[in-house]
Amino acid sequence: MQRQDIETQYAIEDSQSLEDGQRIDTMTINMGPQHPSTHGVLRLILTIEGETVVKAVPDIGFLHTGIEKTAEAKTYHQALVLTDRMDYLAPLNNNLGYSLAVEKLLGIEDEINDKIKYVRVLLAELQRIASHLVWLGTHALDLGAMSVFLYCFREREMILDIFEEISGVRMMTSYICPGGLQADLTPTFDDTVRAFTSIFPDRLQEYHDLLTNNQLWTERTRGVAILSAEDAIAYGASGPVLRGSNVVWDIRKAFPYSGYEKFEFDIPVGTNGDVYDRYLVRMLEMGQSLNIVNQALEGMPAGAHRVSNPKIAPPPRWQITGSMEALIHHFKLYTEGYRPPKGEVYVRTESPKGELGFYIVSDGSAKPYRMHVRGASFANLEVLPLMVEGLFLSDVVAAIGSIDIVLGEVDR
Amino acid sequence: MAITATSTVAMVREKFPQAVLETVDFRGEQTIVLLPGHLVTVCAYLQKNLRYNFLATVTAVDWLERVPRYDVVYHLLSIPNQSELRLKVRAGERGEEHPSVPTVTGIWPGANWYEREVYDLFGITFAGHPDLRRILMPMDWTTYPLRKDYPLAGFDLPEPHWGGQVPYDIDPGVGSQTLRTPYSRELNESRSKINPNQEPGTEK
Repeated sequence: MQRQDIETQYAIEDSQSLEDGQRIDTMTINMGPQHPSTHGVLRLILTIEGETVVKAVPDIGFLHTGIEKTAEAKTYHQALVLTDRMDYLAPLNNNLGYSLAVEKLLGIEDEINDKIKYVRVLLAELQRIASHLVWLGTHALDLGAMSVFLYCFREREMILDIFEEISGVRMMTSYICPGGLQADLTPTFDDTVRAFTSIFPDRLQEYHDLLTNNQLWTERTRGVAILSAEDAIAYGASGPVLRGSNVVWDIRKAFPYSGYEKFEFDIPVGTNGDVYDRYLVRMLEMGQSLNIVNQALEGMPAGAHRVSNPKIAPPPRWQITGSMEALIHHFKLYTEGYRPPKGEVYVRTESPKGELGFYIVSDGSAKPYRMHVRGASFANLEVLPLMVEGLFLSDVVAAIGSIDIVLGEVDR
Repeated sequence: MAITATSTVAMVREKFPQAVLETVDFRGEQTIVLLPGHLVTVCAYLQKNLRYNFLATVTAVDWLERVPRYDVVYHLLSIPNQSELRLKVRAGERGEEHPSVPTVTGIWPGANWYEREVYDLFGITFAGHPDLRRILMPMDWTTYPLRKDYPLAGFDLPEPHWGGQVPYDIDPGVGSQTLRTPYSRELNESRSKINPNQEPGTEK
């Protein structure tokens, strides 16, 4: 089918005739893929009637990079770095989901010690704050509040500095890996995180002061793009989009992974399912994440940063220079990798965007036979037409911002 | 009685003995392999009676040598019961280009995009799907990239795809002929002629 045919098929016919001979002129316009408020390369085919959106058809795939295909040609350890590039605003959450899936496939979940679990939770929650900060900044920028963006990126820099300190990389860290962590924490890690956690409550209050009761903000967001709880569940929306519609559902509580059952935190939910509720859910989540970070810092146990199984994690550097076995293990691990038994696992984790699921099928070889990623943004974007039909064109921008999509994860 | 994944498997086995091909328990995850003809009935039962109200994802796995060739995999979740379940159907007879599986969009509307994705990347069609067209790949793409017989680097394209010269009526995957331009072929050949023993910074 040619592209033109497809477009005419999905556009409502312009100039519909009414019974009394009047005509309503509709117009089909493109929003994106190069539109700043579509947060990447999302294209929306909008049919508008005056200012009102009659029909919205998202067109995705502009950022399709074939990560699932590439992973089939990489060993399990190599495929880890691909996961960073999916939700590029929350790479550590992707690493965590992938690592948990591979560990489940290997059956080494019991070997992961508390130190690793605590560090993973701490980093995942810091990453959640960083991801929400980018969302808040860009969402506010879309709706005309320029200064919030600058403040949010100021705090996000601090979190990225923490990641740089432990892994050497600001964004694509690949720090959480199957079998533990890539490196041990630095001696100053504790102080660096505390420097962030001590100032962040005040900064969070600053964002609330700027927006939460700001009339300009509430006028743009309250009662806009309402999503009912039934629709949210039926369409597979997850994360803050689902919770904003008053569904108490958090995978960290329902299926605790990586030791989340040891931490105390609340699940913020909205009441109406509008843009404002989704905004508020994420704002409150940042506070809860900070709470978890503090608990993880206080209760951080001592221990090794990797499992001691040399078939899965490389031996420490000092052993390689002194021990023949360690050298062989190191060599075999990086040339061949490890071979999980035949089977398949699906591990769901709560990423900042929602349910991030890794489905990995092993055929007993050193490479994943099939890796499917259930990106949270993919399903969350699917509900966008439900939200925006009947709204004004300018509210579409608010709706896109409120579902917090990352096209790297949608298109994979 | 609380519904768990294990009790769900037992209930489905009891209620639809003719539909269940086999059940698998691996690492505590329950899988039910169904016959494609019974998929919609069982899904409707799971959604209505056992409250599996959340369809997490639909995907497929290509087992190239096996007949039937594909697994179509559904991951279900029950939010009220906090229970998760995996369903599978097998499709694709030998040499069948577009195996067909019934759609579940009538039960979980969110399956719409996932089934489009499976169609796009595997070429499996979903009978009764309201809007089955490609979603990630370009609309005029002709092949199915996640199939195991699709090369990782893709097929040789005749021209850079942004050049606007691609004759899309020719399937780039057909036959052994390469449609590369003489220039790019020359470039590739000259790369392979590089002397590996040459010291860096010296002439040949």
